[in-house]
Amino acid sequence: MTFNEKIVNVRELKHVEGKIELYWIYTSGEAGDKFFKALKDEGKFLASKCSYCGKTYFPPRIYCEYDFSETEFIEISGEGRVRAFAVATLDSYEKPLENPEIYAIIDLDDTDGCIVHLLGEVEIKEVFIGMRVKPVLKPKEDREGRITDILYFKPS
Amino acid sequence: MNVERIKGLKFHKKQDVAIVGAGITTFKRRLNETGKELSYYAAKQALDEAGLSIKDVDMVVMGSAPDAFDGVHMKGEYLLDGSGGSDKPYMRVFVGGGTGVFAPIAGYWHVASGLADVCLVVCEEKMSSCYPHPQSAFKYIWDPILERPLKPNLIWIFALEMRRYMYVNNIKHEDIALVSVKNKANALDHPSAQLAARITVEDVLNSEPMALPVRRLDVSPPSDGASAIMMVASHIARQLTDEPVWVNGVGWALDTTWWTNRDLYFPRYVAEAARMAYKMAHITNPRKEVDVAEPYDPFDYKELHHMEGLGLAKKGEAHILTREGITARDGDLPICPSGGLLGVGNPIAATMGVKVAEIYWQLAYRAGKRQVAKEVTTGIAQAWGDLMQIGTVMVLSNKR
Repeated sequence: MTFNEKIVNVRELKHVEGKIELYWIYTSGEAGDKFFKALKDEGKFLASKCSYCGKTYFPPRIYCEYDFSETEFIEISGEGRVRAFAVATLDSYEKPLENPEIYAIIDLDDTDGCIVHLLGEVEIKEVFIGMRVKPVLKPKEDREGRITDILYFKPS
Repeated sequence: MNVERIKGLKFHKKQDVAIVGAGITTFKRRLNETGKELSYYAAKQALDEAGLSIKDVDMVVMGSAPDAFDGVHMKGEYLLDGSGGSDKPYMRVFVGGGTGVFAPIAGYWHVASGLADVCLVVCEEKMSSCYPHPQSAFKYIWDPILERPLKPNLIWIFALEMRRYMYVNNIKHEDIALVSVKNKANALDHPSAQLAARITVEDVLNSEPMALPVRRLDVSPPSDGASAIMMVASHIARQLTDEPVWVNGVGWALDTTWWTNRDLYFPRYVAEAARMAYKMAHITNPRKEVDVAEPYDPFDYKELHHMEGLGLAKKGEAHILTREGITARDGDLPICPSGGLLGVGNPIAATMGVKVAEIYWQLAYRAGKRQVAKEVTTGIAQAWGDLMQIGTVMVLSNKR
């Protein structure tokens, strides 16, 4: 340590303890609502295609980010390729994880974008960039219309 | 380059700045849309009205109030794609409730400096995401040592301010309630309005007490919504329209954060901000030279308070103008012809749509059913925020 603070216990000083007590309910939006309904009810993957430039967004959006045109929904397979991956070995309290988690950026077929998600049913040493993967969904009865309805992507 | 030297104010303006388009979503609880989607709807509308596409836009300014509403830290970055800012110089500005006029002031810097010829300004607020109530977010704006332990909220301090204003100027609640009556009725002609209604002074005085003297109908509602304006350099404006509306002056000022040390009866922050904007716009007698105004009206007394800060009425006399109908839409000095925050709604930053955008529409004679009766040349928009300490003012005119 390079500093010599004499007071190490903050509570020795006159102080007030405070918490910010707020919570939020985030709605998934017009495009998100369609996307998650299709995922939950039908196990389908929706993307959206710009009616002007043809750029395809996943997850879908109602507008094209670059030319502000409207988009139309299309169905995609949900399969893709690993573009980058990272292996998390510590949890958020810096405790070693019993089973390290593999996070990957996945380039989805027939879209112009990627998403980040977990990889599963694969050994760390077997993962490579460019690896083909496909999504594994929760059983229909457990799905809630959230991104976590996709459990992970596995090699295909 | 125009170099203006006005006593006490020096500024170098590379080019004149015009507003050539505006957009506004409906204001209400918009549970279905995300903040990004709301931003997109407003921005698209402003682009369409100006006859521009997003590819014509050089830079984007986003205005949005506390991150605590949307519940996303770094909300500016979160809203980027919906506001057309991707791959462009983009910045978010935030001065609480003052943001609705501060964001277009930032847009003005972009164009007046010559850095951008076309600047899109988008303001967004989605308050409904925040629980237990959007007001809860305001519990955390206070000094954590001196004030927060007393559990103040915003209604509470506005009640203090309202009472001080009433006491010093000897004004009755009836006089103040007339503002709510006027603005909610004006809002009947606004397609975005959330709380348009025909009400009476008695309705206001008998409405639910919140923190006395403030009652339910003295207050604007929390809302979700977005608004946008297109700000362009004069050579672009000439190509797009015969009726540009020029930004002739901007001003902003903050009073001390030690709010209990201010005398709450008069908004000095607004007076200072107006002084700056009027100097720039060469306005010496605002009561005579301003034809229409949109002072910030989250509470009914605030419209009067701010009119006095803006020099549109003498101290303690704004309510007389209201009572005499001078501030009505067909009066000599129409105030909040949009319906204001009291009638249209109060999605904090997005109120740019009923302040700056409304004055733009009025001066371009595009306000439709809300168009004021008199001939208009010069108008002002004003907002107020932070710890009730910032005044933000913009002077607009259809003449340069």
